Amino acid sequence: MNNREIYVKVFLDTLGVEEKELEGLKYQDVPSWDSVGHMSLMAELEEAFDIMMDTEDILDFSSFEKGFEILNNYDVEF
Amino acid sequence: MVNSLIYKKSNIRFLSILGQRGAFGYALTELVKEKSDIIALTGDLCITSGLERFYKKYPDKLINAGIAEQNLFSISAGMATMDYVPFATTFSNFAALRSNEQIRHFAGYLNENIKIVGFGAGFAMGMFGTTHYAIEDISAIRSIPNLTIFSPADCLEVAKVTEAAYNIKGPVYIRLTGVMNHPIVYKDNYNFEVGKSIRFFNGKDIAIFATGIMVSKAIKLKKFFDESNIGVTIFNIHTIKPFDKTSILESLNFKLIVSLEEHSVIGGLGSVIADNLCNFVEHPKLLKIGTKKEYQKAGDYEYMLNANDLSNDEIYMKIIEIYNIEGEKENE
Repeated sequence: MNNREIYVKVFLDTLGVEEKELEGLKYQDVPSWDSVGHMSLMAELEEAFDIMMDTEDILDFSSFEKGFEILNNYDVEF
Repeated sequence: MVNSLIYKKSNIRFLSILGQRGAFGYALTELVKEKSDIIALTGDLCITSGLERFYKKYPDKLINAGIAEQNLFSISAGMATMDYVPFATTFSNFAALRSNEQIRHFAGYLNENIKIVGFGAGFAMGMFGTTHYAIEDISAIRSIPNLTIFSPADCLEVAKVTEAAYNIKGPVYIRLTGVMNHPIVYKDNYNFEVGKSIRFFNGKDIAIFATGIMVSKAIKLKKFFDESNIGVTIFNIHTIKPFDKTSILESLNFKLIVSLEEHSVIGGLGSVIADNLCNFVEHPKLLKIGTKKEYQKAGDYEYMLNANDLSNDEIYMKIIEIYNIEGEKENE
């Protein structure tokens, strides 16, 4: 799997959403992306890409699209 | 319950991102699946207590007592008499100080089965300032009979402590320290026993007794002591009361004992150790490291730790200074 596919899979597995919902998906758009779900998503992404995010980035991770930008800062290329 | 939370590495990291209060909320939401007698109460701090998901899943199991902490614990005691197991959450200072008489009466005197969850202990409330700091809470609660006092070292231990609190048939105070992205002490499952400290390393020179988030700081210091050829042993005092007296017995031959806590040096872990050391005619010097004795201007969390000389560098320098003085005395 390439990085984009890994990224998408983490979203699907962690939040239990369908792939068609991902575009434009923002924090708290679905019940599973609540504060606890957010931290779980962050932890799964960290494990998937073998990175450790700063608190500011965890808080700034507000949407599916924003995540690409943040992970780029950790040398995860899409 | 706890085992299901932790076996995956990402779950431990997940809990650490949540911080101690979020980890508590998550643990309670897991625990209530099996323990239907649990009820959560809060002093208008549902989301701040990490209980957002708990509330969404179990709206009938959470009571918001409002910003009225004395009522919060009085209602909790009433629920306990009806065989519920109430977990009542608020900031540590409002639990231990504002509601001290209710805790004394209901938890101490009447021994009701309430679980007092104080979060934001130490300086975790940052810019909220001194009115929201809890640096006297252990001191204020420790002398009240019947209470068990927990101060977990990391977020995995929060989950363990939450479950242990449920299993104790009596009042418990859980002191939660630190902020989000909490340092991880335990990367894997481990054995947790109420009142039994957990030992790290086997140095013979300095015994560091640490509690709460300070355990992770103590562990970080180990490499600096190694560079100076000083052997350290670190005790994680996750249970302040009942205190693990065997840890004192194991420390009597060290050159220096250090207590390390994000709490006043008066009445906290350092005082607990002093209370125990005084039973021995001869014992090592005790260096108590904690918050300064005077209140200070408020600031964010890291600022307050630095202002109280609780940065890694300051802690190390304090310990080395006293260790060297003790060494010189020994050589005289």
